[in-house]
Amino acid sequence: MIHLASYFVVGILFALGLGLGGMTDPHRVQGFLDIFGDWDPSLAFVMIGAVCFHVVTYRFIRKRATPMISAHWHIPERKDLNAKLIGGSLIFGAGWGLAGYCPGPALTSLASLDTNVYIFVGCMILGMLSFGFVETVIRKSKSYN
Amino acid sequence: MAGLIVGGFILSALWPETIMNQSTRTPIYLAVAGWLVGFGTVMGSGCTSGHGVCGLSRLSIRSIVATLSFMIMGIVIVAAMRKLGVF
Repeated sequence: MIHLASYFVVGILFALGLGLGGMTDPHRVQGFLDIFGDWDPSLAFVMIGAVCFHVVTYRFIRKRATPMISAHWHIPERKDLNAKLIGGSLIFGAGWGLAGYCPGPALTSLASLDTNVYIFVGCMILGMLSFGFVETVIRKSKSYN
Repeated sequence: MAGLIVGGFILSALWPETIMNQSTRTPIYLAVAGWLVGFGTVMGSGCTSGHGVCGLSRLSIRSIVATLSFMIMGIVIVAAMRKLGVF
């Protein structure tokens, strides 16, 4: 229960940060990516700010033996680079550049009640499900990481 | 996720300007982009927040590579859209 409550509060906080930071405005996101055109660097500060804050707090947080509401840490430990990571990131980047939405801001933007956002989120969920499908097919045909 | 959605409604109540400026693209266009974002996020095990914020702060090599990959691709796509006159 405490987990669900904390996820919920963190989600609200994250949404507020994304919205006030400008990440829920796809025109600004595309303006940020438009470095060879009419570049709007303002969103870099959202990311730099978030990373700076988290670099410091993360170090303090990891000094604890366990998280406050869990018996152990859930931290990704992998260090290997593979085509799946890079290919997935490139595909993600293509969609992000085309629309100006990434997953968090897209979910937050559902509150705009704009049909386009619902179409985007619906297709994003389909895309997520279709990767699972593609992976199963590939895994059946060869050993694959 | 429910928190994100509720947070969106709080934004729209308190600061409507943050959430009302949505994309004016055609539905087909957004459908394709949405599909790519969903597919790529799962395949690459993360997005702007997962790799870009959490991963970079942990100095994860996978996240640094992922963030560079999607940033470069986003920049290339926007530059291509400009070139094609659809930006």
